[in-house]
Amino acid sequence: MNFVIEHLSKHFEKKEVLRDITFTFRAGRIYGLLGRNGAGKTTLFNCINRDIRADGGAFFMETETGRREIKPEDIGYVLSTPTVPEFLTGREFLKFFLDINGKSIPNPKSPEEYFDYMSIAPEDRDRLLKDYSHGMKNKMQMLVNIIAQPNLLLLDEPLTSLDVVVAEEMKQMLRSLKENRIILFSTHIMDLALDLCDEIVLLNHGELEAVEKQHLNAGEFREKIIEALREEEHD
Amino acid sequence: MIKTLKISFALKNTYRVNGILHSLKQIPLLKRLLPDALYGVWGLKIFAEVLSVLWALCKVFLGKFLYILLMVWGAGMLYENLETGRVFLHILLCLTVIGSYANTALFNPSRDKYYAMILMRMDAREYTLVNYTCSLLGAAVGFLPFTLCFGLLAGLPLWLCFLLPFSVSGCKLTAAAYSLWDYERSGKVYNENKLGRVEWLCTALLLGCAYGLPAAGGVLPGAVSAGALLAAIPAGFFSIRRIYSFGEYREVNRQLLAQSVNQTENLKYTAKTANEKKISADTSITSDKKGFEYLNELFIKRHRRILWSPAEKISGICAFLFFGAVLLLYLKPELKPVVNELILSWLPWLTFILYTINRGTGFTQALFMNCDHSLLTYSFYKQPGFVLKLFRIRLREIIKINAVPALVIGWGLALLLFVSGGTPQVLNYVVLVVSVLCMSIFFSIHYLTIYYLLQPYTAGTELKGGTYRLVSILTYLGCYYLMQIRMPTLVFGGVSIVFCVLYSILACILVYRLAPKTFRLRA
Repeated sequence: MNFVIEHLSKHFEKKEVLRDITFTFRAGRIYGLLGRNGAGKTTLFNCINRDIRADGGAFFMETETGRREIKPEDIGYVLSTPTVPEFLTGREFLKFFLDINGKSIPNPKSPEEYFDYMSIAPEDRDRLLKDYSHGMKNKMQMLVNIIAQPNLLLLDEPLTSLDVVVAEEMKQMLRSLKENRIILFSTHIMDLALDLCDEIVLLNHGELEAVEKQHLNAGEFREKIIEALREEEHD
Repeated sequence: MIKTLKISFALKNTYRVNGILHSLKQIPLLKRLLPDALYGVWGLKIFAEVLSVLWALCKVFLGKFLYILLMVWGAGMLYENLETGRVFLHILLCLTVIGSYANTALFNPSRDKYYAMILMRMDAREYTLVNYTCSLLGAAVGFLPFTLCFGLLAGLPLWLCFLLPFSVSGCKLTAAAYSLWDYERSGKVYNENKLGRVEWLCTALLLGCAYGLPAAGGVLPGAVSAGALLAAIPAGFFSIRRIYSFGEYREVNRQLLAQSVNQTENLKYTAKTANEKKISADTSITSDKKGFEYLNELFIKRHRRILWSPAEKISGICAFLFFGAVLLLYLKPELKPVVNELILSWLPWLTFILYTINRGTGFTQALFMNCDHSLLTYSFYKQPGFVLKLFRIRLREIIKINAVPALVIGWGLALLLFVSGGTPQVLNYVVLVVSVLCMSIFFSIHYLTIYYLLQPYTAGTELKGGTYRLVSILTYLGCYYLMQIRMPTLVFGGVSIVFCVLYSILACILVYRLAPKTFRLRA
């Protein structure tokens, strides 16, 4: 299964943020999306998630049976600032989600199992989400996004503000999740990208470009990425 | 000194200009025409600068003019059998005392202070003193023409009219010096935007003195008022020394600005936190429904305080008023024909009343801030079927909430009509009850529809939709306009029933067609 973007473009007034992007992402891999501040990473995600309308272009899933449109349930989107419905408790949010999506979830588990899987402590499960800490909200958001097992998981700097233990747990989880799905992971932290991702993709001047690792060692690869981002800045 | 003055004026001007440009950008049609780089466009900048200077002049003169015209001189003219000059001085004295602590300029946590002293690290003492001097001089200059004009009209001597503006400044100086002294003593910073209980009580008492006493015939002798006002001038002079020598303006301003939430960066989140606070923490609230009904029931129950409670309160107050009206008619039967006439021809007024008590905006705001803002980021929530399902549930809820006061008002009016002598046409009673209910349903659907179609909030929970604002303003104007209409209740009621039914059908069709596409977070 591939996720294909063709000729995607988006501009805000005169600024071209995405410039005729064409790219194919393959299942089973974690893609690290790197770009300078304001390069348009979030815009790209928002376009894919149809939160904002693209000016032109298309994106679809390519399976053995052919191409098909992206459906909302294909996508999981985890934002850098976690957003959860503050008036529900963790358990209620999970119950609501399972009620709604019950039919489309392959072999659903009980809420307790999900909480255990996410290491959310029993005493926190019945607290209102507005009283959760940043990291806990993030876990809840991640949990709801992966239960549905979406084919495409978009992560917008999700680990940046987590403590080291939670960040490590999340990393492990993402690795275990990459089978049969595409994970697109945007970050500013080079080490994280190199450590977690199978492939590095740069978003620069509105275009997507894969960085070939070939036979480079870690240090050289790092240099190459920085160089690429810097170079295009001076075009 | 001059440099500080120049910088602070330029600073204030810059953000006023940018503020004007920003609001131009909010107007739906202009939005398209204006470039994004409008903050750099020279011509626009000049235009906004002219507006900004005009605004500053308005603030100096127009405000004072209206104040003296309406609150002092005009109000004084209402007490016909009292001596005008005496009332003028009496009211001016009371209001000046209120102004001396409620409008100090020195203890106003304004945004320019935050920019200048906190962000740009200007010298706090110099900045404060320069700006304070400017505002006092501005006040004196702004007042002078109007105390002269209206004071002479009220029959006061010229020399007194000439000195009055300085009394106002003197009062302010004295109050400011006292507050600074109080800070040195107790460490507490006075904030004029957060008056304490004592200050509110004083304000109420002084307002009572200003306008209540003359109504009862009690006015301070002219010599006393004038004496008190004139005494403020030497007191002010004495206070200048204290204000000038005070050394802790930095600390005072830091505390003042930290107290007030308007730390600009946090500003856009305050609406969100304020809404979060409205979520009930009652752990006994549960629901045994499923899916969207489950979500909705928990939402309604945990937001009782902002959804049901106000509706219940309004219903209670309305019921009480109707009861009072019935009692009044019983005690004074001669009023019956008047009331009967009112009910049979003033129904258009009710539209405006229903508009003001409608919970529609509160409901949609809470919906967005505490629910949709987060859930709209999940793709399952945006599936067309689910959007419409939730719309149906919410429509039912908002109609229920608004229907309670509407029913009380409808039945109350029908009862009042009956008690006040009734009408030969029984249909009038039915139309009263049904049309009030219909109007309330109309407002419910209206607000929810424009929320679903124009979803005006951004992910940062700012209200951004220009069209939404325009529709809200038009709604207001429409209701306001209806107040001017006099029409037999039967006709207006019938027309409004038909209109509401048609509008509701149309709105639902639009939502079903468009909402799956429009109900999104704004970027």
